[in-house]
Amino acid sequence: MSSDLPVYDVIVCGAGHAGCEAALAASRMGARTLLLTGNLDTVAQMSCNPAIGGQAKGQIVREIDALGGEMAINTDLTGIQFRLLNESKGPAVQSPRAQCDKKAYQFRLKHTLELQPNLKLFQATVTGLMFSKGPSGVRQIVGVHTNLDLDFHGRTVVVTTGTFLRGLMHICQNKNEGGRMGDFSAKTLSASFLEAGIELQRLKTGTPPRLSGRSIDFSQMEAQRGDAVPTLFAFHDTRDPEPMFHVEQGLTGREQRLGWDPGTEQVPCWLTHTTERTAQLVRENLHLSAMYSGEIEGVGPRYCPSIEDKFVRFADKPRHILYLEPEGRATNEYYINGLSTSLPFAVQVEMVRSIPGLERAELLRPAYAVEYDFAPPTQLLASLESKLVENLFFAGQINGTSGYEEAACQGLVAGVNAVRKGRGESALIIGRDEGYTGVLIDDLVTKGTREPYRMFTSRAEHRLLFNHASSELRLAHHARDFGLVSKSRLERIEAKRARIEGWIARLEASRPTVGSGVGQGTWADRLRRDQGRSGENGLGGVELPEEFLALGDADRAEVLYRVVYAGYLERERRHVARLQDVDKVRVPADFDFDAVKGLRSESLAKLKAARPLSLGQAGRISGVNPADISILLVHLAARRRTGQG
Amino acid sequence: MTTDSGSADGDDTIAALATPAGTAALALIRVSGGRSRVMAAALFRGDPAALPERRYRHADYRALGGEVLDDAVWSFGVGPGTFTGEDTLEICTHGNPLIVQLVLADLFARGCRAAEPGEFTRRAFLNGRMELTQAEAVMDIIHARSERALVAAQQQLRGGLGRHLEELIAALLGVLARIEAYIDFPDEDLPVEDRELVRTALADVLRGTERLLATHRYGDLLRDGLKAVLLGAPNVGKSSLLNALVGRDRAIVSPEPGTTRDFIEEMVHVGPHLLRLIDTAGMNPAAGRVEQMGMAKTVERLSEADLILWVTDVTQASADVPVELRPYLGADIVLHVRNKADLAAGVSGGMDGGGFSPALPIFTVSALNGTGLGDLRAAIIARADALRPAMAGDEHIAINARHADALRRARESLASAAAGLGAAIPAPIELVASDVRGALDALGEVAGRVDNERMLDALFSTFCIGK
Repeated sequence: MSSDLPVYDVIVCGAGHAGCEAALAASRMGARTLLLTGNLDTVAQMSCNPAIGGQAKGQIVREIDALGGEMAINTDLTGIQFRLLNESKGPAVQSPRAQCDKKAYQFRLKHTLELQPNLKLFQATVTGLMFSKGPSGVRQIVGVHTNLDLDFHGRTVVVTTGTFLRGLMHICQNKNEGGRMGDFSAKTLSASFLEAGIELQRLKTGTPPRLSGRSIDFSQMEAQRGDAVPTLFAFHDTRDPEPMFHVEQGLTGREQRLGWDPGTEQVPCWLTHTTERTAQLVRENLHLSAMYSGEIEGVGPRYCPSIEDKFVRFADKPRHILYLEPEGRATNEYYINGLSTSLPFAVQVEMVRSIPGLERAELLRPAYAVEYDFAPPTQLLASLESKLVENLFFAGQINGTSGYEEAACQGLVAGVNAVRKGRGESALIIGRDEGYTGVLIDDLVTKGTREPYRMFTSRAEHRLLFNHASSELRLAHHARDFGLVSKSRLERIEAKRARIEGWIARLEASRPTVGSGVGQGTWADRLRRDQGRSGENGLGGVELPEEFLALGDADRAEVLYRVVYAGYLERERRHVARLQDVDKVRVPADFDFDAVKGLRSESLAKLKAARPLSLGQAGRISGVNPADISILLVHLAARRRTGQG
Repeated sequence: MTTDSGSADGDDTIAALATPAGTAALALIRVSGGRSRVMAAALFRGDPAALPERRYRHADYRALGGEVLDDAVWSFGVGPGTFTGEDTLEICTHGNPLIVQLVLADLFARGCRAAEPGEFTRRAFLNGRMELTQAEAVMDIIHARSERALVAAQQQLRGGLGRHLEELIAALLGVLARIEAYIDFPDEDLPVEDRELVRTALADVLRGTERLLATHRYGDLLRDGLKAVLLGAPNVGKSSLLNALVGRDRAIVSPEPGTTRDFIEEMVHVGPHLLRLIDTAGMNPAAGRVEQMGMAKTVERLSEADLILWVTDVTQASADVPVELRPYLGADIVLHVRNKADLAAGVSGGMDGGGFSPALPIFTVSALNGTGLGDLRAAIIARADALRPAMAGDEHIAINARHADALRRARESLASAAAGLGAAIPAPIELVASDVRGALDALGEVAGRVDNERMLDALFSTFCIGK
């Protein structure tokens, strides 16, 4: 019956954070898109903690908004607590974070998908991939098989399997197949990848127990509240009115469907900590932990260790902090952040009850670890298309990443590039100097990863350029070139850019004529002298022109940031300019590294393994030195001159 | 494709020594790239728009600080009619390693960067200045040069330099991990942030970097040249000999007063070597009875000397050295110079060699008319050549200009980081982190790139991260 079905431009397999962005991006570009998910009730599920954003991730979410994605606005409209992290550490590393109402988040995103033109939603589990030989002899994907014995045909396919690819959950000796408690496992799909020569490896992650709120004694805990003035993720100053929820435009109206104003009526998280008794329980039962008894072969993340790991690796640390995070307004379920474990359920209960305020806590769901297949991402092009199978794209945890935000930005890029590929157009590739999304994808495809990859601001060598508020200005050219945001929004973005640049020029050129700043150089000089050290949001006590103070908060903050950091930003840009030279030199996909004379053998082996597609990428492979790049440069130039390139 | 030029950023200007390092009498330093023109104009006081092309001009090379480093011959060529196809400035100086390094350091300070191995050739090829058939040869050159540079670097890194650098990098990674932990994991249960610890560690690294730099700038060999002591009685013509040697090879530094009035020092080029000529004016060996103070100082000079020119007067039959000084006059470092050959047309032989055994090599010269000076210079060069390896001993950390440039940039970044931390109201920590990262990158240029993974390793092994 497969022949009766239409051919889609893009088929997205999986409707998690990566799949939803991929499907929305593709359909918004006008591509006929099919989104397949094994369970329509768990679309955009937050499988771990009910929060979006935080360090580096918050910036990624803002980049997603700049590229026309959905995660930012969805978070703003379903967030129940907003905090700006790192306020004291400088504007570039400040990151917004939000607790979300888990169910509201899913419902709004599912509704968005349902209303999206060009997008068809369907519940079916993908069980295999359909290949054919392309005209060049390269294997191509042409569609997918499902568990319903329905086949779907597509020009391109985006795979976002999350933790479901041969997902195996562990609680001590107890094992259940599935990518998430209560859900299924994609067992047969792995075989399709292997058939196509795509290598798979195992990773592991874990999630803590969930508790019933009425069994928690909050009086023994410290409340952590949201900011009085929430920092939102979407660029509400330039975004178009939401067709879906146009009553709450500009955040001044009401989010009628949710029953609260975004950013108001925030709910707290609660802080507590482990005790000596907790540590003792872990030590006594360590041999029962799935992770310590050899039950799990996958590699877990260093930054998100289980409680077992924490007590073993940092034995001298007497206690560990724990956060109780509310899962929503309409539920009394709490996530206990910091207590990932794969100890037996009985031990989990004892452990939880050894914690102040949780003496009588009831567990609603146990903690567990999950192992799953991922495809080492060095098998991908920078467009996230497979090097081995044409028209097949990968996004999210299958690429070895961790985190909703990391998944979502990849999904967006993969969705865009699937459409572009189908149309024979160039791919969206975001530079390492343009945003965290660019750093993330470049790290993945160039270096790969051994543990679930989470973004840190310290991974971005140019992070001073990546303050969250500038995401939209940084990425506007991509949004324009790839048609990712509306014309009217682009106009508003450019107007904003002009306002900001105009004010920078004015502050650089003119001097205060009244007040304390007279005779101390230009406004900009004054501002820089204070170097944001006044602790007064960079204003430094400088009496700025009334007209400037009347600007919108976002504009004003961006102007001050760029003026105060001018020297540092200039240094970064110079650095970037130099690196771009080699980044622009493309290496053909079929390039024969063996034919290059003079490469050191260590470099040759690494280059052949990584198959970089630009000289910049080649230079970032560890062990490849500048002389090797020099030799490649000459070789490529010679190739071009002889017309081979 | 813009990258065909090899430098889409036209300002990316490189500099390096073009002649083999160390041994030649002259050194050619080549500068290639978009900034060569302004650099030539700034260095040699010309109008950038009207620089003489392909003409050799003689001028003092003045460093940014104003001091004259050498008298140089320079020429400027306009791209594409040059070897690399880019604007090119060539500067010819004396072959002394110190001068070459000072000039390179100054060019780096003016915004050039050190050329990568084979980069001039690479640019020449990419700019179409070489035939396609030469591509392989170009790659060979790059390969060979980089191998040689690699071997040289590895030799240096195996020695003190590598050890010191690795210590600095490890310390700096620790510092960065301490900063980054609090930036990237603000909600974690970390110990109270200890900026004082960071400050102290940064100050240590800064001191270490300065120590390493000091071995470059003030290394005995490079700063002082070879110490050559002129020993002899008054009136034997030591001063005129000194002037003759200086006159022939022009002092590069104006006479600096000796540490005491008893000594006159002069910096002199002899061949590729820099000699610090020290005239022991106070000695009067003929008197047989030397004033104790003067003798002590003379002994001190002699004991440090790399080379001793024992000057006697050819017209005087007997020459003697005070017995106290004799132990310092080993045959391997003393050249016996018999001066005033012009006055002794009839005198031949008849002089005694001072009773040294084995006998010292003897040079009969005239400081006045130059007779025999050529032989003396050759002998000095031969001695200095023989001495050089011995001076660059295991403990000597030789740092070339490229390393020094990287270390200097590291120092600059570290100083900026320290200043940011130490200010009354500290700079935002993200700026401090940026400086520390800059320092790590600079050190990495010498020791090999420092991957961010190493910082993360340090971070995760120091702090318990993970909620």
